Amino acid sequence: MSEQQVSGIQKFMQGRGIRKLRRDRMAVVALWVIGGYLLIALSVAFGILSKEDVFDRVGPDNVVGFWGSQDGERRLDQAQFRIERIERAAKGSNPEAALANFRIGGVSAAPGTPDEVLARVASAWESFDAVAAHEELDDSPAVPPLFSELEQRVDRLFESPTGFEGFIQTMRMSLGTDRQGRSILFRALYSTKVAVQIGMVAALISVLIGTLLGAAAGYFGGWVDHLVVWLYSTFSSIPWIVLLMVLASMFRGGSMDGTLIPVYAAFCMSFWISPCRVVRGEVMKLKELEYVQAASAIGFGRTRILIKHVIPNTAHLMFINFSLLFIGAIKAEVILSFLGLGVKNEPSWGVMINQAKAEVLNGFFWQIGAATAFMVVLVLAFNVLSDALQDAFDPKHV
Amino acid sequence: MWTYVARKLLYNIPVYLGIILFLMLALRVNDPAYAFLGKNATATDLADIKAKLGLDQPFFYQYLEVLSFNFDVESWANEGLKVSEMLKRSIVPSLSITLPALTLTSIISITIAIISAYFRGRPVDRTLMVVAVVGMSVSFLVYIVFGQYWGAYLLTRDVGIDAFAIGGFEPGLKNWPYYCLLPVLISVIVSMGYDTRFYRSVMVEESGRDYITTAVAKGANKRKVMFVHMLKNAMIPIITRIMTTLPFLIMGSLLLEVYFNIPGMGRVLFKAIQEQDFPVIQSFVTIFAALFILSNILTDVLYALVDPRVRLS
Repeated sequence: MSEQQVSGIQKFMQGRGIRKLRRDRMAVVALWVIGGYLLIALSVAFGILSKEDVFDRVGPDNVVGFWGSQDGERRLDQAQFRIERIERAAKGSNPEAALANFRIGGVSAAPGTPDEVLARVASAWESFDAVAAHEELDDSPAVPPLFSELEQRVDRLFESPTGFEGFIQTMRMSLGTDRQGRSILFRALYSTKVAVQIGMVAALISVLIGTLLGAAAGYFGGWVDHLVVWLYSTFSSIPWIVLLMVLASMFRGGSMDGTLIPVYAAFCMSFWISPCRVVRGEVMKLKELEYVQAASAIGFGRTRILIKHVIPNTAHLMFINFSLLFIGAIKAEVILSFLGLGVKNEPSWGVMINQAKAEVLNGFFWQIGAATAFMVVLVLAFNVLSDALQDAFDPKHV
Repeated sequence: MWTYVARKLLYNIPVYLGIILFLMLALRVNDPAYAFLGKNATATDLADIKAKLGLDQPFFYQYLEVLSFNFDVESWANEGLKVSEMLKRSIVPSLSITLPALTLTSIISITIAIISAYFRGRPVDRTLMVVAVVGMSVSFLVYIVFGQYWGAYLLTRDVGIDAFAIGGFEPGLKNWPYYCLLPVLISVIVSMGYDTRFYRSVMVEESGRDYITTAVAKGANKRKVMFVHMLKNAMIPIITRIMTTLPFLIMGSLLLEVYFNIPGMGRVLFKAIQEQDFPVIQSFVTIFAALFILSNILTDVLYALVDPRVRLS
């Protein structure tokens, strides 16, 4: 980096806009929140969550989070799941090895010979039958003591991890499990990475393409301008959901199907338009200014003026658009994933909300709640940030 | 006036040609006949299905064919059903969501925006804007899921009022509230956050202008200034905004149609994409783009009608 550029960045950081932004308390909080999300995304990207934590069963289906209560039927189902799992291990062809390797999430089987385990399983089944004999699980006064006995006997079958592993296990179950018994919290955390990745890539590429094309159109005018205007009128005249659907289906069956590339391509193609429009307008204004005329009077080439003197002055627009497009990408991801054209083979907030549709009808809100909460905080932070950016750098904007 | 309309039309022709070119190319990246018939199709099957649609012709010929708006082709997935017929059936369900949603959203959010601008800076305004921003941050899908759960499912099961259908559609004004009111309300709630914020900033901007100061100085009462002088002048951005939300409504109604099983245009297109029903995809996409361009032209014309300051030449 040359000395001149460094001083440019310093100047920008000490400029009026940044000072205004720093004084906006909400914007600072929003920046911290976004930083937190980035940290989560980075740690997930560097493998803090194992594949098993995200993709494998860690417990029974639809367990509620730690401060929720569940109805009798579901408690019974979960007890049954736990007993059956350990019984299957103890009755297998090689019970010692099966019990030693037994694992659901972080929980392993309690020590003991297979016969001891089977005896405990039998007593758990006995207690299970006693509970199941009651028809009204939620209303009858006789049930709660039976339930606590059943759950004690079931707990005796397992050994919960302690120490750091125990903490991880608590975290794993803290927001419950989805319909396939996978940890909701860990999936939501993993989705943070996917969302940040999609937002970053889509917003960055769109802003870059948009700025370059817009600046070229505004600065050079003539046929370049006509071409760019035609291009963005064309792309903006296709409703973006239709464009996304067509593009996403374009990649179907190809070698890139299942990766995030179709999603990126679809987002970039529809998102570059708004930065392009704004930057074109701004550059048309800028090129009439005296400093540009001065630069050309000194004898600088047009391309050099454009890149070194005009584009840096549209940086604020790039920031504002980046922040707006980031929101757009995250929200569009949810919609695409719902339509089955978005993220595949890994969890994302959209995938989670889409899966939660059926759970909601059964009165289970943990998955949709977790995905929505994670998403709302991030999108809210970006909304606040874009407002603050707009106030700070573009006060005349409506 | 008419020359203005004609000029706008002429200007949009190359844009439309470009859209069709791009979409046709994008749809042909994967061989549509192969994608539809799958791996086990014989060469004659493939050739047959291509010949029926003219896919074996040179691209330029196909381009002209699409531009001739010939929708009498047959759908691949639903044999015997013509695209024009599918279009005819799906227009009414689509419009019965889109039009009420657009009208209601505009009326409600303009009203809230005026209230907010009237109380600018005071707690009422602050609260409304915070609610709007938080509302904007929740995904559309969440509104739909919970809207259906509370409005259609719980209301019927626990309260016993069967006011809204879980899904489906039947034509007729009498059936409209049962099938369409809930999706419309959801759509209104979703778009209200954006619209209210936008209209409020328009109003706030407008309230700082000289003519408002003059009117207030002359002693006109505040309410009259707000509703008569200001609203009239704020009409230009408002109309532009309403017209630019049209594409959002197409998208919004697509999700609502898919979720509530309403057989509108969005759902037909979505199903066609799932089933790789190429003739339907191509025709519907050309129609969507044409509608979009028409709404753009309409915006410009309305703009000129409302604001005499816009030069027509």
